[in-house]
Amino acid sequence: MTNSISSTDWDEYIPNPELRNISTEVDHRLYSVPSLSESFMTTYKMMFREEWRQNVDFAKKRNILLFPALLAVVAMVASIGLRYLVGQGVESDAVLVEEYRRAFTWQEMRFALHFPLFMFSLGMGSFAFLGRVLVSQRSSGNNYLLAAPALHPLKQSTNYFAYYLKEVTFYVMLVLFPVVCGMALGIFLGELIDLPTPLEWSSIPLISAAMVITLAQGLAISFLGSALWTRGGMWGKVIPLVVIILATLFALGSLKLEWLIIGLALQSSHNILFLILGVAASLGMALLAANSVGEDFEQAVIEREELFRPVYDRLGFLGKGRMRLLVTKEVVDLLRSGTIKKMIVSYSVPLIVLLLLAWMIDFAEAPVPINLLSYAPFLGFFGFNFYTWLTGIDSPEHMNTLPMSVPELIRAKVVTYFLTTTWISIIFLILMAWSLDAWGVFPVALVVMLANSVYIVSLTAFLMGLRPNKAIFDASIMTYFWIGTVIPLLFLFLLSFTQGDTAFYDNMASALIEEGINSKNVGFDDEKAKQGFGGILVISFALLLGSGLLLKLLNRKWGHAEFSN
Amino acid sequence: MEMAGKEGTDHSEKPLVIAEDLAKRFGDFVALHPLNVRVHAGEFFGVFGPNGAGKSTFIKLLTGQLKPSLGRVEVLGIDAETEPQLLKANIGIVPESESPPSYLTPAEFLEFVCTLRGISDINEKVEYWINWFGLKEKRNTMCRDLSKGQRQKVMLASAFIHEPKLYFLDEPFANLDPIYQRKCRERLLNHVAEGGTIFLCSHVLEVAERLCTRVAIIDSGKVLAAGTIADLKAYENETLEDVFIRLVGHTIADAEGVGDGMSEEE
Repeated sequence: MTNSISSTDWDEYIPNPELRNISTEVDHRLYSVPSLSESFMTTYKMMFREEWRQNVDFAKKRNILLFPALLAVVAMVASIGLRYLVGQGVESDAVLVEEYRRAFTWQEMRFALHFPLFMFSLGMGSFAFLGRVLVSQRSSGNNYLLAAPALHPLKQSTNYFAYYLKEVTFYVMLVLFPVVCGMALGIFLGELIDLPTPLEWSSIPLISAAMVITLAQGLAISFLGSALWTRGGMWGKVIPLVVIILATLFALGSLKLEWLIIGLALQSSHNILFLILGVAASLGMALLAANSVGEDFEQAVIEREELFRPVYDRLGFLGKGRMRLLVTKEVVDLLRSGTIKKMIVSYSVPLIVLLLLAWMIDFAEAPVPINLLSYAPFLGFFGFNFYTWLTGIDSPEHMNTLPMSVPELIRAKVVTYFLTTTWISIIFLILMAWSLDAWGVFPVALVVMLANSVYIVSLTAFLMGLRPNKAIFDASIMTYFWIGTVIPLLFLFLLSFTQGDTAFYDNMASALIEEGINSKNVGFDDEKAKQGFGGILVISFALLLGSGLLLKLLNRKWGHAEFSN
Repeated sequence: MEMAGKEGTDHSEKPLVIAEDLAKRFGDFVALHPLNVRVHAGEFFGVFGPNGAGKSTFIKLLTGQLKPSLGRVEVLGIDAETEPQLLKANIGIVPESESPPSYLTPAEFLEFVCTLRGISDINEKVEYWINWFGLKEKRNTMCRDLSKGQRQKVMLASAFIHEPKLYFLDEPFANLDPIYQRKCRERLLNHVAEGGTIFLCSHVLEVAERLCTRVAIIDSGKVLAAGTIADLKAYENETLEDVFIRLVGHTIADAEGVGDGMSEEE
C-alpha cells in the first residue's frame, strides 16, 4: 500500500500531468441516485410537516387555526356585502342611478382580490435567498430540510421544487381554502336570510382556480428572481432593473395587470386557456428557478478588514452602552452578509411605485385630493419587510450565553432599521416634494413619515419579537397588527386631504359623482385646514409616543424569551 | 436501488479515494494548499490538525460539498465535482457540528433519509438505529429539543443507516458520552476489519492512537507529516501529543501569546 499524502505550497505549485487520470476502483455495486419520483414525495411531505411544526411552534395551534377562521369570516362578510359594493343592493329606482355610479365595477372587485394576493406571494417567494441563509446557518444549531442536499443524495432542483410546491400547498390550505369556504358560506347564508349575493355557486371553482394561479405565479416569479440574483454577476443588476421597468410600466398604465397576473385574466375572461397557461407558466418558472439554484454549499472563508471597530466608532452618538454595541453588530451583519443590497432594493421598489403614482396623479391633474402629506405615512409603512429581513440574517442563539436580554436586541434592530432606511425615505420624500412642488408642507410630511416609520417597526417588533416571518399566520397577532396600523394610517390619510396644494373638496363626493373629471374644487376654509393640520401633528406625536411606549413594554412581553429566530 | 457488498477485507492496490492537486481558496485566503492523497479499502485514515487547519474544508471537498479551486477528487470511481449526488448516495457523512432538521423528530428524519436512499425495510432500520443509539424515549421529540449529544447520535445514525462501505467523519465523537464513544469506536473498527474504509478528521489525538491505521497532520492547509503513528514518532518515548506539537510548531506558550511577543497589556 503506498503511503501517499502530500501537499505543496500554492506559490510553489507546478501542475504534474503524470499524476492525472489514476482512477479509483470499487469491488461492489454502487447505489444509484434516487429518481425525482423517489425523492420528491418524501421531501415534499417532510417539508410540509416541518413548516407546520415551525408555525405551530411559534403561534400555538389555536392561533394558527384561528387565522383561517378569521379569513373565512372576512370572506363571508365580503360575499354577503358584495351586492352593495357592485351596486346591486339598492331596490329604489330613484337612488339607483347615483348608487350605481358609486359602486365598484366587477373588474375593480377582481383587481382587489388578485392584486394583494399577487403582492403577498411576491413577498413570500424569495426561496433562493432563504435557502442561502439556511445553508450558511446549518451548523449554528437550527437546521432545515432546505439544506439537506449538502449531505444526502438529493438534487438541489428537486429539493427547491418540492419547497416551492410545499409553499403553494401551505398557502392554499391556510389562506385560499378559508377564503373560498367563506365565500361559500356567504352564498349559503345569503340564501338563508334572503340577502342573495351576486356571487354564484358556479363561480366558486373558477375563482378558486384563479386565486391558486395568482398565488402560484407570484411565488414562482419571486422564486425565479431570487434564484437568478443568487447566481451573482449580471443578474444582480438585471433583476432590479426588470422590477423597476415593470413597476414603471404599470404605474404609467402601459402594462395592464391582466397581462401580468394570469389568475386575474382567467377570472375576467372565463377562458380555460388561461388556466392551462397559468399552470404551465407557474410550474415552468418554478422549475427554471429550482434548476437555477447552484449545486454548491460554499460558505466563503474570506478574510475581511476590521469592520466592527470602525462602525462602532461611527456610532458614537448612541453612547457607550450595549445599544451601540448591538447596533454595531447588526450593521456589520447587514454589510458582511450582502443583505443590505437586497434590502435597499426591496425597500426602494414600493417607494418608486409611490413616487411614480404621485407624479402620475399630479401630471394628470386628477381631481383627487392626494398630496405630499398623503404619501408620507406610506413611506414609513414598508418597515415591516425590512424588520423581517433584519431578524433573519444571523441566528441569535449564541446570545443566550451572554448577559443580555431579547428586548435589548429587538431595540437594537429597531434602531438599525431607523439608521439604515431613514435616508432612503427622506430622499423619496424630497423627490416627491420636488415633483409635486409641495415644499410648504415638507417639514410636516417629514414628521409624519418619521413617526410612521418608527411606529410601524416598533409595533412589528413588539408583536412579533425576533420571529416576524412566523407571525403572519398567528391570527391574534395579525389582528392587533392590522388594527394598530390601519387605523392611524387611515386617519392620517384622510386628514392629509385638508392640506397641501390640492385643497380638499368640501363637496368632493357629490362633485365627482356629478361632474366626474370636470368637477371644480371648493377649498376647505382656513379653520378646517388648521384643524386638519393640528390633527396630523397630534396623531404623529401620538405615534411617536406610542412607539416609545411599545419599546418600553418590550421588557414585559419579551423579557423572559430565549434568543431564537 | 440495491447494494451487493462483497464480504471480507479487500486491500487492493487501487485506491478508493483519490485527490490530485486538490486545493481550495476563498478569495485571497488559501484554505487548502495543493494536496495529493490516496486512501485504500480497509484503511482507517485520520487527518489531524489544530483548529482552523483546513480539516473540514478537506472533508467537504472530498464529499462534493465544496467545489475545488484546483485539482480533482475521485471517490469510488465517482467524480465528486460533477456527480455529487451519486457520491453522497454511496458514502456516509457526519459533518462537524451540524444538527438534524430542527422541526423533525429523530424517527422522521431517519425515515426521510431511508426513503431518499431507497432503503426498503424502513421501519425496521429506523427502529434498529433509534434503539442502537438509545434514543427510544426521544424518537418523537423534535430534534431542536434534543441535547447536543443526542443530535449527534441522530446524525451518526443517518450516516450509518444505509451501511455504506466508506465513511467521511468530521469530529464524530464530539458531544457523545463515553459509553457511546466506545460503542461507536467499536462499530467503526469492526467496519474496517470487515473491509470498510473510514476517513476521519479530528483534533483529538487519542482517537488517532486508538483507531487510525494511517494519519496525516495538517496545519494552515498543508500536510506536515503522514504515515503510521509509529512512523511519526521521532524517538521511542515521544507521545503523539509531542509529535503533534513538534510538527505544528505551536507550544502552550504560543497559544498564550507569549511566543509571538504579545504582552498582557496588548
